[in-house]
Amino acid sequence: MTSLIVKTAGRALTPFILLSGLYVASFGFLSPGGGFQGGILLASGVILIMVTHGSKEVHRLAENIDWFETFGALTFLIVGLAGLLLGGYLFSNLLPDTPLMCIVLDIVIALKVFVGITAVFVYFFGMGVKEC
Amino acid sequence: MKILRKDICTFLLVLMIAFLLVQGLELSYEDKEDSEVDEYYKEHQEKTGADNMVEAILLDFRAYDTFGEVMVLYIAIAGVIILGKIVTGDDQS
Repeated sequence: MTSLIVKTAGRALTPFILLSGLYVASFGFLSPGGGFQGGILLASGVILIMVTHGSKEVHRLAENIDWFETFGALTFLIVGLAGLLLGGYLFSNLLPDTPLMCIVLDIVIALKVFVGITAVFVYFFGMGVKEC
Repeated sequence: MKILRKDICTFLLVLMIAFLLVQGLELSYEDKEDSEVDEYYKEHQEKTGADNMVEAILLDFRAYDTFGEVMVLYIAIAGVIILGKIVTGDDQS
């Protein structure tokens, strides 16, 4: 369906896109970037693979995509509720002077945005679970 | 000449854009005095542990707002997934 040039370019570029996405997401508390931007970068890597190689290569991700989404939202809520129970108010920082809360929330937001954008692509472009 | 609904809409749109452009021309880029909230953020940034000011505000001082934002995204994606499962006939699982 797609030519050899497109396949090779997609295969060569995807690891670097995913790596830069992980970097942007996990170093958001030090440098410009953050969870949303990192998640978008991760999703663009997966979408590139889907466009060049077809959705068969990522069918395990596409089948379990809604579980990841719920996991991300629940983790965010649990962090907030832990702050409420132990710190006194919603989303209070339990470990002041350490960037742990920022890192955890960044990773969770990156996961959620990654899964969300990939799900939009999977379902809107007719590459749903059935056709994998 | 008959005035169509389209013409009125175009006129209103141009009026709005012109209003916004004029407002934008009057923006000043001089240093303003910090408000109380700004001072609070600057003084307490070290307590969050994040060097990036945007991140410190987004994920620590205003984490509740970010939670709402994430929930908006969650609901939108849930709608897309439900719609996709109905369209592909996979709504049994």
